[in-house]
Amino acid sequence: MVFNSLTFVVFFACVLALHSLPLPWTVRKVNLLVASYLFYAAWNPPFVILLWVSTVVDWWAAKKLVSVQGRNARRAWMLLSVVANLGMLAYFKYGTFLLDNFRVLAATIGLDYQPPAFDIVLPVGISFYTFATMSYTLDVYLRRAAPARNFLDYALFVTFFPHLVAGPILRPTELVPQFETPRRAKANQLCFGFALMTIGLFQKVVLADGFLAPPVEKVFDGVKVPGMLDAWAATLAFGGQIFCDFAGYSTTAIGAAMCLGFAMPDNFRFPYAAIGFSDFWRRWHITLSAWLRDYLYIPLGGNRHGPARTYFALLATMLLGGLWHGASWTFVAWGGLHGTYLSAERFLRGRFAHWRPSAAHVFAFGVLTFALVHVAWVFFRAKTFMRAWQVLRGLFAANTDAVPILPAIEIATTALIVGGVVAAHAFMRNRTLESVLATVPPPLLAGGWAMLAFAIVIEQGSGNAFIYFQF
Amino acid sequence: MSSAESDPRERIDDRATVRPGFVRLTASDRPGVAQPVPERDIPQQPWPRIFAGAMLLMLLAVGAWEWRMRAVGLEAGDIDDGPSAWAEQRRRVDAGESKVVFVGDSRMLFDSDLDRYEALTGVRPIQLAIAGSNARPFLTEIADHSRFDGLVIVGIAHTSFLGADAGLGKGALERYRFESPSVHASFLLHRTLSRAFAFLDDRFRLSHLVHFLDNDWRAGVRISTAERLWKLGVMRDDRQTWLWPRIETDVRLRDHQREAWGIGAGRRPPPIKQAAIELAQRELRDAVATIRARGGDVVFLRPPSDPRFRVFEEAQLPRAQAWDALLAAGGVMGLHSDDDPVTRELVPPEYSHLSRACATVYTDAYVRALAARTARVVLRAGAPPPLTPRDCGMPPADLASSVQDRSSPAPAEAGAAITSGTRP
Repeated sequence: MVFNSLTFVVFFACVLALHSLPLPWTVRKVNLLVASYLFYAAWNPPFVILLWVSTVVDWWAAKKLVSVQGRNARRAWMLLSVVANLGMLAYFKYGTFLLDNFRVLAATIGLDYQPPAFDIVLPVGISFYTFATMSYTLDVYLRRAAPARNFLDYALFVTFFPHLVAGPILRPTELVPQFETPRRAKANQLCFGFALMTIGLFQKVVLADGFLAPPVEKVFDGVKVPGMLDAWAATLAFGGQIFCDFAGYSTTAIGAAMCLGFAMPDNFRFPYAAIGFSDFWRRWHITLSAWLRDYLYIPLGGNRHGPARTYFALLATMLLGGLWHGASWTFVAWGGLHGTYLSAERFLRGRFAHWRPSAAHVFAFGVLTFALVHVAWVFFRAKTFMRAWQVLRGLFAANTDAVPILPAIEIATTALIVGGVVAAHAFMRNRTLESVLATVPPPLLAGGWAMLAFAIVIEQGSGNAFIYFQF
Repeated sequence: MSSAESDPRERIDDRATVRPGFVRLTASDRPGVAQPVPERDIPQQPWPRIFAGAMLLMLLAVGAWEWRMRAVGLEAGDIDDGPSAWAEQRRRVDAGESKVVFVGDSRMLFDSDLDRYEALTGVRPIQLAIAGSNARPFLTEIADHSRFDGLVIVGIAHTSFLGADAGLGKGALERYRFESPSVHASFLLHRTLSRAFAFLDDRFRLSHLVHFLDNDWRAGVRISTAERLWKLGVMRDDRQTWLWPRIETDVRLRDHQREAWGIGAGRRPPPIKQAAIELAQRELRDAVATIRARGGDVVFLRPPSDPRFRVFEEAQLPRAQAWDALLAAGGVMGLHSDDDPVTRELVPPEYSHLSRACATVYTDAYVRALAARTARVVLRAGAPPPLTPRDCGMPPADLASSVQDRSSPAPAEAGAAITSGTRP
């Protein structure tokens, strides 16, 4: 189920009520585990089996990693876990994509291969829980962490519903220890958790779905050729939409976990105030970028084997990171662009290591980062390269056959919201939400909170799935 | 110590969780190590009191909004139409709950009175018409994916059946094929809340209301009909739908609604390609054959539209090439509102959909006409007496001329006024 649904409101109320009962901690953990399976099954019950398979395989693989002797045996158990997890991911997420590409490849050498028609349904959130469970076996393999002591704690780590389908992607060491001692939110925690959930849902329901999605769909999913104004409005709207959608989900998830007495890590740190692309990736989808860095970039050599290997590792990591987001070459192009941005930045940092930029330069770099990130978003959002090129040409006023697409009101609301988001990010760049909220007078907080909640209620929402669910 | 931290060889980062500038460390600051349990600080504030205050203010605001929406004319019990509501009715077809099914676009949806049909025949039809849709994919779906052996009554606007796809009804078929337990539960909860709260109306969402500020400000861009429309219908649990009463009684809203169809915008009706006509005829023929093979049948209805709209429709595609050719190709019987002395007198207030009272009159007329032509529609003993256009009530003053227009050929000047290409 999605957070922005009436079903979740009822579900969460029941979970909170159960969690607050004076029951033994093990019973309350079982409640959370069952609730998490229900949360997942509410989308499509049979796919709970995939969760179980992933959970059991990694549980046993981690146990064996501790008990077996010898490097090869340990590596074999680690590979079993990786192959099982990536195998499921490959089949469900990339099966059709791989077959289509194989067919095209065969056609280029004259083979008329027609693959059987598959109708593979993508299990929601498979990319997220696959990475979470893989981090468990990989951390044990790399001797960064010991396996969980009991299966219940481990299963709950994999399945815990706030992070299950769209992250933050947790590591076992972040969550498993929290299941070892009884947890129940205090009044302050509970109420602040609700506040975070309200902020997250406001971002998702009102800003992302209500105001920013329509102009994005009109330009990116339409057939009319966009001019400069429409292309920029839609691209900026998408930048705002995907941030509000995903950061909104993460904030809601953090708030939901907090209401139950658990802590989850930050997943976003005001990314549109980033200066440079390495800074951007330390602020955008932090748990994914850190996962890719720890389990892909570093094993590929990282920066330990000279510049060429470093650039290769960077590009490979970002290309695969792009593919992680979706089974389409447009996502690979998006990842490739970011890999190129990161490589170029690394090269320039080495070349101008002693240069100290002025404040104006820093501001200019911030604007450049923002603009290039949005150029890359075009590939992320466009369903085909043809549409991506059309929008890109629009960004640079190169479409001679452009026609106006967006009504003025949507351009105005986009400018207002995206402008607000960017200004907020600039202000919050070196702050945390908590540090700012601590300074606001309580009546103002209550008024602001009420306004956000009221906006959510009257926007109503239609339960649109979070964008990142599809990943 | 936690189990996940108990291995002495593991490398947990133990750097301080706060750095200057009050920015927490995250995984991005700790490469290549196991991540520690996150620390989340709670701002020093009286959160329970803030929460109580916020909820109180929010409830007051929602109460005021509910009052305002009721004053605008929204009513509790009016459920939003949507894919789940449609899928629920479609499942009733599978359960064999009725021998009569309505398929069609918004005219069939708004202009049919299920109560009247039931009062006349003793059978309550299942309403599967969808506003802004094309009936063809839905007829085909019933033919190919159900065992329905009753009567399918297809109600269409002039050329909607010739469209390329299901139009605004696309999501309904997908939802019928798969509806997750979560989505279904949300639908049921929303419907329950809709019975108590009038403000729960898709047409009065915050982001939708904002569009009414834009009076086509930007040259070359016209706000789409779907975004321009105020509320058009009122719907009950089994998708019984009526024209929203305010469209009948509020001249400003009615005129806005008329304008939304594109009246006077200088637009030409989109052409219909011969290939599209032939495809529609072929698919109709196949669907009818499939349904008849298992004992069912299909009939067509063409609900009324304003005379000025008729001119536009004829300009797009003459009746002989659209309606007449379709019926001939499908080998089906149909009732065109122009051909019936009662239905040709009915005038939709906003050009395209009948008022609530008129929908009852129209239903009464076509049920009786069908009963005279097919054994699948039988008037029950004790059926209420026939209705006449007078039972619609008095039309608003400026519609009186339209009623008179009905008795004479549509004036040429009316044709010049109607230039909309909007799908009703």
